[in-house]
Amino acid sequence: MNLRLSITIAVSKIIIKGLRLMRRGGTTLPGKIALKLYPGFIKEITHNFKIIMVTGTNGKTTTSRIISQILNENDIEFISNKSGANLVSGIATTFLDSIDIKGNSSCSHALLEIDEAAFKSLSNFVEPDILVVTNFFRDQLDRYGELYTTLNGVKAGIAKHSKTKLVLNADDSLCASIGKETDKEVVYYGVNNNACDSLEENINNDASFCLYCQTRYEYQSHIYGHLGEFSCPACGYRRPQSTVNCVKVLELNPEYSNIHFSINSTGEDKSKMWDARVNLPGLYNVYNALAAAACGSLLNLPVENTIKAMGKFECGFGRMETINAGSKKIRLILVKNPTGFNQVLNYLLTEDKQMQLAFLLNDNLADGTDISWIWDVDFEKLEKIQHNVGTVYASGIRAEDMAVRLKYAGVYTNKICIIKDYKELISTALENTPEGQNLYILPTYTAMTELRKFLKNKFGLKEFWK
Amino acid sequence: MYELNICHLYPDLLNLYGDRGNIIALKRRSEWRGIKITISNVTLGDSFIPENYDIIFLGGGQDYEQTIIQDDLLKQKGSEIKNAIMNDKIFLCICGGYQLLGKYYKTWEGKEIEFLGILDLWTIGGQKRMIGNMAFECDFLKSDTFDGKVIGFENHSGRTYLGVDVKPLGRVLRGNGNNGEDDCEGALYKNVHCSYSHGSLLPKNPAFTDHLLSLALKQKYKDFVSLQPLDDVIESCAHDSMLKRIL
Repeated sequence: MNLRLSITIAVSKIIIKGLRLMRRGGTTLPGKIALKLYPGFIKEITHNFKIIMVTGTNGKTTTSRIISQILNENDIEFISNKSGANLVSGIATTFLDSIDIKGNSSCSHALLEIDEAAFKSLSNFVEPDILVVTNFFRDQLDRYGELYTTLNGVKAGIAKHSKTKLVLNADDSLCASIGKETDKEVVYYGVNNNACDSLEENINNDASFCLYCQTRYEYQSHIYGHLGEFSCPACGYRRPQSTVNCVKVLELNPEYSNIHFSINSTGEDKSKMWDARVNLPGLYNVYNALAAAACGSLLNLPVENTIKAMGKFECGFGRMETINAGSKKIRLILVKNPTGFNQVLNYLLTEDKQMQLAFLLNDNLADGTDISWIWDVDFEKLEKIQHNVGTVYASGIRAEDMAVRLKYAGVYTNKICIIKDYKELISTALENTPEGQNLYILPTYTAMTELRKFLKNKFGLKEFWK
Repeated sequence: MYELNICHLYPDLLNLYGDRGNIIALKRRSEWRGIKITISNVTLGDSFIPENYDIIFLGGGQDYEQTIIQDDLLKQKGSEIKNAIMNDKIFLCICGGYQLLGKYYKTWEGKEIEFLGILDLWTIGGQKRMIGNMAFECDFLKSDTFDGKVIGFENHSGRTYLGVDVKPLGRVLRGNGNNGEDDCEGALYKNVHCSYSHGSLLPKNPAFTDHLLSLALKQKYKDFVSLQPLDDVIESCAHDSMLKRIL
């Protein structure tokens, strides 16, 4: 091993230790410094790992968590960037943290969540054995530019590699196009026609028109957003046949979902059908579970262990994180973009108890400085459950804008309450939450990390890098 | 009872990141005053009959979506849009929708894309995107109760220049506006209001929303005098807090 690499590893390890001692996460800075010291170091320290990467707009963290549970069930030791530090520097830190001073690791596998816009640059250094792509939706256009730029960046990254096997969402015309344009091995996953009733009336317009010939897609079935059984009447581009399928959604409730799914078949062969419980609510988590199951099948792991993993994985870090406050519960759900937000609102429609709702809107860089996207979220849905909703709190840097959105969505103004101070917000909202019921908090990214700090002190949450 | 018909042109294509907020604002502020509102979505292949509408909205789109409408806009709906503008129809056009009304878009590499050419303005692609919160001052919004200051968020690489016939919509107080050079933001020509403030321009500027509604009602009803005031405490908070932050 060369001296420069040894020094880079040593320096980084000291920085990681120092930051942890100071009770700071230290999940990105060490990698950032190491990359400055020796830009090519990642390539050298990663080639002994079997690498699984997860990218896409929504569901990266949860999908990674389910895959990590699958690995656990199969006694496979792995490293991962589970704190959500998913830029190149965070991934560099993850590897630095796991190797010894000679560059060796006791783990055989690495499971990495990577930001969809950062994937292209990471692909210069690291070649995944398996790449899972969840979906492409409009997200933070002030930061990512256009949706098609992001998609093409991911395609360009994939093209640099030779051995990568792909796991792709068949129901997303954008995601599935990756498979159409490559000769790499692909496992598609998706939700079958008639597996569930869509809660959304409109197909949103993230991708209404054929990527190849600009003709409007026809839909045999629609799940949510632009996901569904699409086909182009002009050029014939259509949803590819998938081998990991949700055949039927048996139950969607506020705690979990029960599904009937098939693996390695198109869903007609009864001998290859299974029942599973997905341990987080919401249809979007069914997709995350299918993506993880497809990854498990590419690793040739037994389906029984995959099903076990789906039923007991935990997510945390703002993905339906539950905090007990006496007999009441605070449930934290991160929201980042219109489609993700709409899915969370769909989930809230399944809650049959009284609830308090808080929306925390920040406009820091990591949230996106442009908050216009809140106008693409169907808050109008809240009208349907207005009887179940107590007060609706607006908080965060852009609390007032959030309140305007709620007012224009038809939430009664006497139910809207702006509280910017988190301490006051939590105490007031909890006070108004009836015994045994839930306070749902939906924050953007930096609002979530700030709020977690506060909740950590008050309720003793786990450090997020543990 | 008053009624207004709003046309959302290409809602499935020109609907960038929150543009829909403008339609929602027009709708709610009418409904809260008992004005009946009908929203019609008119897209590719649909016929566009301007006489059916009182306010017409054209939003922004990503490059991909803008290329899809090119033919339909230039060859099918272009002449009707021009007639409507000449007949003083009320338009709100944002970002890409604003650029499309001009003469052309010249890309950074020098390629010229022909646009509708109804308004005397043109756009030149830039390398640096102009992104961020912005504020501008509109004289036509000034009243005893409002200082005419409008807030928005811009995100564009095109730099737009106005010819002699077209006035700017407002004067830039903070941000770049049309081109980052001449302090002009947007364009005003007859009843056409164009702005780079994409997404939710109207919701956070209720005076602007009411201005458009009043123009439309005045045009349609001889007996219309003015809109009844609404409780705008929340809107004003959002508006004022951003203004305070960036000015």
